[in-house]
Amino acid sequence: MNITFTILSTLAIVSALLAARLRNLVYAVLSLMIFFSALAALFIVLLAEFIGAVQILVYVGAVGILILFAIMLTHHIAGSTGERIDARGWFWAIPAAGAVLFGILLPAIIYTPLPLVPSSSTYEPSVLHLGQALMSPYAATLEIMALLLTAAMIGAVVIAMTLQPGDKEKHADQN
Amino acid sequence: MTPLSSYLVLAAIIFFIGLLGALTRRHAIIVLICIELMLNAANLNFIAFWRFNPHPEAMLGPIFVLFSIAVAGSEAAVGLALVISIYRFYRSVDVEKMNALQG
Repeated sequence: MNITFTILSTLAIVSALLAARLRNLVYAVLSLMIFFSALAALFIVLLAEFIGAVQILVYVGAVGILILFAIMLTHHIAGSTGERIDARGWFWAIPAAGAVLFGILLPAIIYTPLPLVPSSSTYEPSVLHLGQALMSPYAATLEIMALLLTAAMIGAVVIAMTLQPGDKEKHADQN
Repeated sequence: MTPLSSYLVLAAIIFFIGLLGALTRRHAIIVLICIELMLNAANLNFIAFWRFNPHPEAMLGPIFVLFSIAVAGSEAAVGLALVISIYRFYRSVDVEKMNALQG
């Protein structure tokens, strides 16, 4: 348990808690970006430096800004102070999530013999192996993923652009 | 060095926070944020297992995480487009008010 892991994991847990519990949506998204950055640093600690860079590019860069735009396009950012933030029946969620953590995940980690030291401690650039693997055995998967991203992008535009019938009447009323 | 179980416990705690938030919160965008938290916990597990694998040169962990990030990115795009579309219909992003399919 070294100092880097302690700092990064504390940062990740605290910012994840803030992202899940803050009332103000913009603060929640900024906290989520801190969480993504801490996780990217953890990936770099685990010698997956390319995945760390991808994490920052995709999550902090794209997904965070996308969520900020979605908040901007819907209403109340701050959330009124008197309004409750939890859904009805929220207390059932605590035993359910607690059962998943304490009943499944933690016992599985505790009762499984796990390696204590990494397989190799030497630094070796992983991008070379990653690029070769993406080009020879996983080329078809890469193409399918490109197709999925294109379809998702077109689908997102189509879903977000569809005008409801009520909207046209409202625009007509405003004019 | 940090043992593998510390990374797994960290990922389990993050998954717990995300699950709790997705089940309790009322705002649809916060629910999406919590789903992203859970996906990232899974990614951390993949990378940690790959690092402690005796054959890291196979690159199974990073490749799976790369595809998982791509799927999560398209999920976020489509989910937020759905949130905007639902907001246009209901004038609200409260998941409690989206009960049109309730019997």
